[in-house]
Amino acid sequence: MSWTLLRGTLHQNRVSIFWFSFGLVLYSWMMTWFYPEIGGNQYAELVETMPAELMAIFGGTEVSFASLGGYFQTEYLGLMWMVIVASALIIYSAKAFAGEIAEGTMEFVLSQPVSRARLAITRIAVMVGYSLALAAGSLVPIMVFGSKYDIDLPLDTFWTLFAFGLLFMLAVGGFALMLSVIFRGAGKPGAISAGVLVVLWIADLVSNFSEAAELFDPINIVSYWQPSKIINGDPVDAAAWWLYGGVALVSAVAAVVVFRRRDAA
Amino acid sequence: MDVISTSGLTKYYGKARGVEDLTMAVPQGAVYGFLGPNGAGKTTTIRCLLGMLKPTAGSSSVLGERVTLDGAALRRRIGYVAGEVRLYEKETGRWHLDYVAGFRGTKGPLTAESLERFDLDPSRRVKELSKGNKQKLALILGMVHDSELLILDEPTSGLDPLNQEAVYSVIEERVAAGRTVFLSSHVLSEVERVCDKVGIIRSGRLVAEEGVKSLLGKRLREVEVTFADPVAASLLGELPGVDSVVAVSDQSLAARARRRDRRRAQADRKTEGQRYPHPARKPGGRVPGVLPR
Repeated sequence: MSWTLLRGTLHQNRVSIFWFSFGLVLYSWMMTWFYPEIGGNQYAELVETMPAELMAIFGGTEVSFASLGGYFQTEYLGLMWMVIVASALIIYSAKAFAGEIAEGTMEFVLSQPVSRARLAITRIAVMVGYSLALAAGSLVPIMVFGSKYDIDLPLDTFWTLFAFGLLFMLAVGGFALMLSVIFRGAGKPGAISAGVLVVLWIADLVSNFSEAAELFDPINIVSYWQPSKIINGDPVDAAAWWLYGGVALVSAVAAVVVFRRRDAA
Repeated sequence: MDVISTSGLTKYYGKARGVEDLTMAVPQGAVYGFLGPNGAGKTTTIRCLLGMLKPTAGSSSVLGERVTLDGAALRRRIGYVAGEVRLYEKETGRWHLDYVAGFRGTKGPLTAESLERFDLDPSRRVKELSKGNKQKLALILGMVHDSELLILDEPTSGLDPLNQEAVYSVIEERVAAGRTVFLSSHVLSEVERVCDKVGIIRSGRLVAEEGVKSLLGKRLREVEVTFADPVAASLLGELPGVDSVVAVSDQSLAARARRRDRRRAQADRKTEGQRYPHPARKPGGRVPGVLPR
């Protein structure tokens, strides 16, 4: 890894890293603050009056809305959180290789004494750091402010949620990075990454009502994202850890291998 | 030792030709001009030499090392100025200088001198700079580390004449210090000014490679000669160095000729604008010489 490149890449992305992370801190704090106002049975009664299909969109079909996990998944960690973190990481990843090649700045960087492998690993390292910042922004406020708002999240639950959320982000970001090293221009890797996520989300949605859509379930990273179960104390399916970790690792390795061999100007 | 050598270097972008079967050699301590029109393959060649593009066929070596896509150590010895300046728009010149210094492990020894020479304010963001100032920043970034080999792709593009001279001065200083310069250009006068050896590329192929003086000697010039009396086109046709003659009018002939040696050309220039009588009336019957237009 190149420290110069690491500092440089973090510097260039400082604005988006800050605002996405800070935005999640605010959102997380707001949801924590809001829980006592509407959480519990009142909330469950309100939500259960809504159509099941609508609740499925926000990821709320597998747990009771009266639970803490149900509240957070429906209001925060379900659809909205996935959209926010996926947007942040796809934008970064698409620009990290494909965007810079199209803009010509990759030629400037590669004219310096830095190997392609180091460059690729450093960009991956920044993506990991970015994901850590997003995970911290998403969940630390719940721990910090939770006690003030009658939310008791055990520490082991927090760490499980943190690790699982981090792996989810690494899988999404890694996939986008892998596409980024293939294309020239940030548009295609960004669109394809987002498109794949949308397809998986739709498949997850439809699978609530149709068995045919369950075909995607074994590989559907959106389906496996069930923070409500973790918050409510249920264990995470081992297959989910393997899927997220596998996608993240394979994508990262593929990105390095492909970037070392492609034309970069 | 040849600082740059290529052997059958070929690069295709799909079916589109980049360069084809390029074989050339740049000797140490030379200023090698790589001359060609737009789209000839100059930038493609340079990118292959820097390991940014993977050749379709052939090979190249720079500073004694075979060029690969991952030649970080080799690039430490090279200073490169790209033809199209693409830097990080939101960052300042100072940031870029520190960035490059970070990669090379040291602040460029010629940074302060270069900033003063090119009169560039490094505190401004790249997006605030004019085209010429961006070019100056790119030049400074490429030249501050006193590299063994300088690869310059149209380095004076967008520069005013004073800064162009500054570039030429830097090139001459570097060569005097034993460095080698590979200069890509489509401006003949620029190549004439600083280069020792020239390679001419056209449609992806190297069509000529020789010394600058030899190349200039082959350059065709168009001249028009007006006589006091009507003359036949065949009058000039037999002169050495004349390629073709066309009658412009009864008394004027237009000829394409190769440039003669400088001293003779200077002597001829003294008689520019004069009208000569018909050669049959002049003692010896010889036409005194062609006059440049």
